[in-house]
Amino acid sequence: MRVSAVVERAGVPTVSLVSQGFVGLAKTSSLGMGMPDLGIAMVPGHPDVQTDEELERNVLSVTLEQVISCLTSLEQGMERIVEPGPREVVFEGSIDEVNRYFYENLWTDGVPIMPPTRGRIEAFLAFTDRAPHEVLGIMLPENRAATIWSIAVNGVMAGCRPEYMPILVSLVEAMVDPKYGVEHSGNTPGSETQIVINGPLIKELGFNYEQGAMRDGFQANTSIGRFWRLFLSNVTGFQRHQNDKATFGGTWRVVMAENEDVLAEIGWPSLCADMGLAAGGNGIFIARYTGGKVILSVYGNTAEECLIYLADGVKNITGWELIFTVGVAAGTYKPLLVLSPIIAKTIAKSGFSKADVQKYLFENTRITARQFDNYIGTYTNTVPGRRTLFDLVKLGKAPKIYGASRDPERLVPIVFRPEDIMVAVGGDPLRTNCYVFSQNGYIGSPTAKPVVLPRDWRAKLKAAEL
Amino acid sequence: MSEIEATYSVYWPRGQRAFDVEPVAPKVNSLSGKVVAFLWDYLFRGDEIFAILKKEMETRFPGVTFVGPDEFGCTHGADEREIVAAIPGKLKTLRVDAAISGMGC
Repeated sequence: MRVSAVVERAGVPTVSLVSQGFVGLAKTSSLGMGMPDLGIAMVPGHPDVQTDEELERNVLSVTLEQVISCLTSLEQGMERIVEPGPREVVFEGSIDEVNRYFYENLWTDGVPIMPPTRGRIEAFLAFTDRAPHEVLGIMLPENRAATIWSIAVNGVMAGCRPEYMPILVSLVEAMVDPKYGVEHSGNTPGSETQIVINGPLIKELGFNYEQGAMRDGFQANTSIGRFWRLFLSNVTGFQRHQNDKATFGGTWRVVMAENEDVLAEIGWPSLCADMGLAAGGNGIFIARYTGGKVILSVYGNTAEECLIYLADGVKNITGWELIFTVGVAAGTYKPLLVLSPIIAKTIAKSGFSKADVQKYLFENTRITARQFDNYIGTYTNTVPGRRTLFDLVKLGKAPKIYGASRDPERLVPIVFRPEDIMVAVGGDPLRTNCYVFSQNGYIGSPTAKPVVLPRDWRAKLKAAEL
Repeated sequence: MSEIEATYSVYWPRGQRAFDVEPVAPKVNSLSGKVVAFLWDYLFRGDEIFAILKKEMETRFPGVTFVGPDEFGCTHGADEREIVAAIPGKLKTLRVDAAISGMGC
């Protein structure tokens, strides 16, 4: 629909081909882009599970007439939407009535929210030096403005404390960064963002960074994770059954804080420092991940003994995501390996830096070209013309390492570069489990932003109820 | 003792839309003799669907011609922004009268 809006603005009429399950989203997206009359032609069912004959029959009996009609006649009238003002009181009532009203308007996540009253919102605004009306960005799919005010409102609702406001602002700055690709956040795989925090704020604000690092229960980790999803829904516009088209989806992820004591002990940079932020400073990191799993009971007392198993974990979590290495995109797949502190220290004891770990993983996380071709072709049909890795190398769409020969059993890397396998340190300091995330490629690219504190941060923090 | 419930005046949690509603482009009165572009995200058998549409439209609309998706590039890859930004210029150069964009699945 985004493409169609661009074409229409260029003066050329369009029609968008949409499978049956996406018709509702297409209409919502059209409205969100300010063009409610964008032409839509439906393909019944889903093309990927139809025989050639079924597909032809469906296209000729349903899609074709809609295509012709959309290009040659305008049937709908334009709808003008009336919405509240950006800083308008929309309801007055008891806590139950507020929650019911917000739920009915799709403004909550199904769990009670804190009512965003004037006083609560202003308590959040007191923790930033930026003006409430400042616009951080305009976000697709609904072309809504992300403002400091809207951050405060959703922060209240999520159950955040006011002193989390600088982090919330940085998160939205990352969200609106074009590099991140927030406009894809309603995609079919239903990936979920993982937020990681670095810096002195971890301890100042009581983030959990040890046992249960990704478990709910700690207000900072939990409420900020919830804020992310509320903001994505209310301000970016990915509301359930509308612009959010996750097949299954998942709930928001708890914020993970790295164990910076251990990072300092072993001399490894933090995740935010890897992304170019100042070492030792406060920062947030975001990326979208398609899934994750525990790597249980890592056994060994040298780096190599541990890493061979960890490389296996990174390889096994990776499947269709290879379309973001070669196929749909090139070189954008960036899985994340989280080492528990004791495993990180064991690896570092062998003299391995984080870069050494990434180099080892890159060289030892390989799959056969046959498997790679299965994921990008046979299983998913995501590369036009069923081209193989070898074909794509010949077309200049993949590095030569992927086409060294036609041997289907040749081993190829799952990422382009060692640093594409990202590494963090967190979790129970004395348990030998690790965790690995598979990543959604350019659809939620790793992005990091510094957290900027307001003037008089120390005084304000002291005055806040901790 | 009855509970006295507080009343809360609450604010709108959404963001203001940063646009006005726009009209779509004028339609073509007929597809006969027109140039139709296929724009594609290279997914979900769009190439096969375009081929079906093309064949039938050529039968129904004399003189209709088509510009394939390779002229424009993949509209949903890592280079999406650059490719989509270049589309209006290419539509003009290629004298396209109408466009079919897919696939939303």
